[in-house]
Amino acid sequence: MLDRRRNDGVFHLDYTGGESRCDQESFYIGETMKLRGGLALIKATWLSWMQVRSFFFLLAFGWMIPPLIYLFVWSTAAGSGTVGGMTREGFVAYYLVLIVVNQLTYSQTNWTVGDVIRYGGMSSLLLRPLSPVFDALSSEVAGKVVYLTFVVPVTAVLAVILRPELHLTLRNALAFVPAVALAWALRFLWGYSLALLAFWATQADALLALQDALIFLLAGQVAPTVLLPGVLRTAALVLPFRYMVGFPVEVLSGQLDRVGLGVGFAYQVGWLTVALVAFLVIWRAGVRRYSAVGG
Amino acid sequence: MQYLRMVRLFISTAIQNMLAYRLNFWISLLHSLLSFGTGVIAVEVLFGQVEAIRGWTLSSTLGLLGTYLTLGALRRLFIGPSLEALAGMDGEIWTGKFDYTLLRPVDVQFLASVRLWQPLALLDLVLGGGVLIAAGVRLGHTMTFADVLSFLVALASGVAILYAILLAFSALVFWSPGFLYTWLFNALFQMARYPVGLYPGWLRLVLTWVVPVGIMTTVPAQALSGDLPAATLAGSLALAVVLFAVATVLFRTGLHRYASASS
Repeated sequence: MLDRRRNDGVFHLDYTGGESRCDQESFYIGETMKLRGGLALIKATWLSWMQVRSFFFLLAFGWMIPPLIYLFVWSTAAGSGTVGGMTREGFVAYYLVLIVVNQLTYSQTNWTVGDVIRYGGMSSLLLRPLSPVFDALSSEVAGKVVYLTFVVPVTAVLAVILRPELHLTLRNALAFVPAVALAWALRFLWGYSLALLAFWATQADALLALQDALIFLLAGQVAPTVLLPGVLRTAALVLPFRYMVGFPVEVLSGQLDRVGLGVGFAYQVGWLTVALVAFLVIWRAGVRRYSAVGG
Repeated sequence: MQYLRMVRLFISTAIQNMLAYRLNFWISLLHSLLSFGTGVIAVEVLFGQVEAIRGWTLSSTLGLLGTYLTLGALRRLFIGPSLEALAGMDGEIWTGKFDYTLLRPVDVQFLASVRLWQPLALLDLVLGGGVLIAAGVRLGHTMTFADVLSFLVALASGVAILYAILLAFSALVFWSPGFLYTWLFNALFQMARYPVGLYPGWLRLVLTWVVPVGIMTTVPAQALSGDLPAATLAGSLALAVVLFAVATVLFRTGLHRYASASS
């Protein structure tokens, strides 16, 4: 119970008098009290940080599970042979990379933008001499750091246990970096634009759930794109979702030849342009429509 | 009986509550259809590539998915909402609202477990039942009365195990307030989407013995495809009873640690 009060910030240190006296004894008492108080404060801050961090770690853990399930299911399916040309070790490598890329590109802030609009928090953001999109971007960066301190070590441990096989070439490694950056930008802008529809509809968050479902099916989570059946594969190649997660993973795990790489980047840049235009249009129209709630 | 009358009251309150938010029906329908659709497509994609994995075919895995969806629906219907309100984010144990539950002249565990209902979960239940029936038809063998009975017993013990684990996870909040154990359980529960047999050995052990989420869906699905040994069914029932007892003891022990939240 004491910990809770500390975390609420109502933890007080009472040591009045110690320093004002001059005699040695009470001076030492004052100093030890100060030391104890200081340590307690550090411990309290640490605990409250741990508590907040454990919350983020829990979220990251939850997001890891679906790809992890498909990692196990597909690698069991492959056994000692191959499925669709992929070995067990190949599946492990693919999905471990996917876990990290998914975390890198997932923008959790999109879920909060709707609330910021509905509860009127957008008003104070609009008063800043900065576009409110920077508010979302800053939480994005902070969040990524916290999530990755959990996801990267866990993935590393899984890699040691599960023994992936990754044929890394310099070309793929170099192409991976812009692919991830573009994937993140696309996923962020796309989701942010959807979330901005809260200017018009109170329940726009439902669209984010729909997007998450489509990403699950078409962005290489349920299966690598090459293993999807006909219609789904065509949809995956044409729609933007693969370019938010699956494409960079395919790049790094070496599933794409030179042509596939070029076409993929073209789609990625194309959809990013669409998302950027959509964002600008929705933003301009939305802000004009916005009227704050509350006082 | 007093408790049954109370359950009826809880349900009617929940329905009145639900009717106040009409739009939620459509949103909830969308979510139900999404989780149903993605689940079925995922299984179809997997078995588009392989004929069978460790003895599990498309039909029997669909049976397992149906069980998973049904269990999830039942959880959302009457166990989940109360325990989430108790131990979830800003839960009653954290905010101190649990005082009001303790003051009522009824069994605390009863009130804390089934007070809130979510009638919209009936949509999930219909979809889950649909998958179960479709899987049953695909499996093709005629189900005898004994088969149906053993499936229902297995499902009931699955629900009991689900409740027991969720109660135990919620009770842990008494020891470390603020940690979202129910969310941790949500993450682990997703593993029950696929048969435990499809996971590597060490994970299979964890999902069977440590956090037995695997048992909840695998056993009823085996009953549906007609290859459930009587011993496994008995084991599942015994596990349900033991876990229920352990979770109850854990909850009641934790209760003593509750010291409200004021001052």
